[in-house]
Amino acid sequence: MFTLKKNKITNVQTVVIITNYILAAGILTLPRTSVEAVKTPDAWISVLLGGVISILLGIIMVKLSQRFPEKTFYQYCPELLGKVFGTLLSCFLIVYFLTIAAFELRVLVEVTSYLLLEETPRWAITIPFLWIGVYLLAGGINSLARMFEIIFPITVFFFLLIIMMSFKIIEPDNLRPFLGAGILPIMKGVKSTIISFIGAEIMLLLVAFMEEPKKAVKLVMLGVAIPTIFALITVVMVIGALSVNGVFHQTWPTLELIRSYEIEGLIFERFESFLLVIWTMQIFSTFCITYFSSALGLNQLLKRESRLVLLVLPAIIYIISSIPKSIFEVFKLGDYIGKISIVFFTVIPLFLLLLAKWKVSSNDQSSSS
Amino acid sequence: MRRDGKKTPSSNPNFIGVLELDKALLQERLGKNSDVLFREFKLKKSNVSCLLIFLNGLCNRKTIDKDILPVLLEPFDLDDLELLKLTGKIDFIKKYLLPISEIKDTNSIENVTSKILTGDAALLIDGCENALLLGIKEEKTRSIEEPPSESVVRGPRLGFTESLSVNMGILRNSAENKDLIMLELPVGKRAKKSLVISYLNEIVNPRLLEEIKRRINKIDIDYVADSGYVEQLVEDNFLSPFPQVQSTERPDRVMAALMEGRVAILLDGSPFALIAPVTFSMLLQSPDDYYERWIPGTLVRNLRLMAAIISLLGPSLYISFISFHPGLIPTKLAMSIAGSREGVPFPAFIEALMMEISIEILREAGLRLPKPIGQAIGIVGGLIIGEAAVRAGIVSSIMIIVVALTAISSFAIPQYNAGIALRYLRFVSMIFAATLGLYGVTLFFLLLCSHLVRLESFGVPYTSPAVPFRFKDMKDFLIRAPIAMMQRRPSILETKDPKRKK
Repeated sequence: MFTLKKNKITNVQTVVIITNYILAAGILTLPRTSVEAVKTPDAWISVLLGGVISILLGIIMVKLSQRFPEKTFYQYCPELLGKVFGTLLSCFLIVYFLTIAAFELRVLVEVTSYLLLEETPRWAITIPFLWIGVYLLAGGINSLARMFEIIFPITVFFFLLIIMMSFKIIEPDNLRPFLGAGILPIMKGVKSTIISFIGAEIMLLLVAFMEEPKKAVKLVMLGVAIPTIFALITVVMVIGALSVNGVFHQTWPTLELIRSYEIEGLIFERFESFLLVIWTMQIFSTFCITYFSSALGLNQLLKRESRLVLLVLPAIIYIISSIPKSIFEVFKLGDYIGKISIVFFTVIPLFLLLLAKWKVSSNDQSSSS
Repeated sequence: MRRDGKKTPSSNPNFIGVLELDKALLQERLGKNSDVLFREFKLKKSNVSCLLIFLNGLCNRKTIDKDILPVLLEPFDLDDLELLKLTGKIDFIKKYLLPISEIKDTNSIENVTSKILTGDAALLIDGCENALLLGIKEEKTRSIEEPPSESVVRGPRLGFTESLSVNMGILRNSAENKDLIMLELPVGKRAKKSLVISYLNEIVNPRLLEEIKRRINKIDIDYVADSGYVEQLVEDNFLSPFPQVQSTERPDRVMAALMEGRVAILLDGSPFALIAPVTFSMLLQSPDDYYERWIPGTLVRNLRLMAAIISLLGPSLYISFISFHPGLIPTKLAMSIAGSREGVPFPAFIEALMMEISIEILREAGLRLPKPIGQAIGIVGGLIIGEAAVRAGIVSSIMIIVVALTAISSFAIPQYNAGIALRYLRFVSMIFAATLGLYGVTLFFLLLCSHLVRLESFGVPYTSPAVPFRFKDMKDFLIRAPIAMMQRRPSILETKDPKRKK
């Protein structure tokens, strides 16, 4: 390593990590969850609002992390709250990341065994996936960031290609009326759309690794805005093609959209295989970053660098992922994660930020007096 | 001193000055060799005995017979005698007699022995403790030819040879540049060879240079047969399927790399120079890309990337679509594939594996044979066996198309060793496809990328310039920007002088 600073990520990498973290399982189900909550074609407005709120939360978390240069949440939390509460909160964050990793893994298994590999045992789907994750993470955050840089452009290209090809089956009528039921349902919908956008919390850890932490605010805005745009396009396209009522009954409405059109004259007439490939990569990236975050947390709590953590965590993730008995329980788990994260990542960072400010000012006073 | 010499002559590191004894010392070390010749004569028909020792196969016999011996044997005239008295024997011979450009004198027997064995002639004079080493080595080298493994349509037809001095000369000849440094580092414990690292002093990153020197100095092996040894001893990760040092026979390629701030390693006896650090994108580039105008250069580059992807994933995509997800391919295509597979007794994986292995065998067989026979093998193997296999119903004709396409694609990659890496990885991807279908191919891709992003060549990420993304470097990746626009050297190398153009 002579050219790159070890364990530092560039600005592009930061944006790509946030984007890849947010773009995950949610993109396949978001049209349904948003429509379920809003019940009108205005679901996309909720999505937009959800994105905006998520950006605001991201900014709070960045501001918090910027107060502790080169330190992750796991390191500065005990400083702020005292050892017991700090460790407790860190442990909570670790468990949170582990649960997300398990959730993504489970959704991957569900979709893959539903569409691609009907008879393959589940362990055969998960275990190679986990091993590749272990191998990647053994290279540290640099490998992780580079990997995301490879996955990101592939995803963008194929995603836009596939979604745009569904233009011809869109009925503009499906998107009307605009604001037919007023603003109230939209506000209700925000509660469920924001779950899909929770992801800025990764900044609690990433700022410590950034080459230019001063730019973090801009980067988090960009990093959340990109997936918001993707989600917006998806929701509009899916509702436009399948209509509000059509979306209700689909477990994976985005996949249904891709399956519902055929284009003749190309090598492929159907494109869900492409979508599944890029989506698998997205799940992989979300899985890796959450797995990385929890491994990082354990290492920093135990105050040592241990490869063993990398090997033990996948086993735990695997066990958590096999707890839900059916796909509905999986979605319920997802809902819980989302609800907890809203509480956790709105209240606590704001509280910590205020606490940090208060501590600094009281320190100033005590030192000056 | 002399007594010690007599007691244990072989342990004495220096010449004694008595010709008889010195001759015995040398004979003890070299006498067993039939190709070492000892020629005794009297200097200038006087009574001073001299001894010329040289290696039969390496020294230029013509120089010895026509230039050296005549001047040493021709009788003294009066001037000579006076000069001899003034200067002493050694200096007299060195300064006034021998018409040779490279003469050294040395006292060490070890030095003389090794120099004789590498092609110098040694002249011992009775009464002198120093021996003269005459550099009359005749390089055993072939003429400079076009590099067979890397031909270009447009560009210089020059290739490196096995001779280090010729290779260095070619590099020097390519442009006048006082910056170009050729630093010699000997390698090999038992059989020494000279290795030269070459770089541009004003450009190269000093930390890169230090790293390369450190790794070369660490080489501890008794003989370095080819630059391939050096490559394997200095690379970052020996478990990786990818070459982490670029080897090339083309001086223009080396020169271009030096100009980017890379370092070249030349080894005596090997026509392949090594370039470090290397990135994956370099392995898909050919000097042609730069010599042709930028539009064809760009297109060809993308074509090669496509070829790399086909040669890596072609058969595995075929397997996964046929065996796992026939529903995902268009109905008509599925029907025609099913039609051609009718009667084939094997699953797609076995079918693909059989054909891929046989085409690898064909390639290997054709490689070692003389050219005309190699071509014949290609025709017999490719056409006849393929055709017969389809007729016999062992494989489907679609499979033949897939296999032929992947084989040709892998040959479109300009670097032979990169092509090999992709070819062997293809089998891994086929196994993934056979067990997990399209999901398996995706996993294989993720695994491959995981490996690539972890790999580094002398501290430079293997996947650069794509990853870590640097917009400036993208001008020379998928797009080969017009030369007027490529104003900077690759930023990832952090050269001393990043600008190519002012």
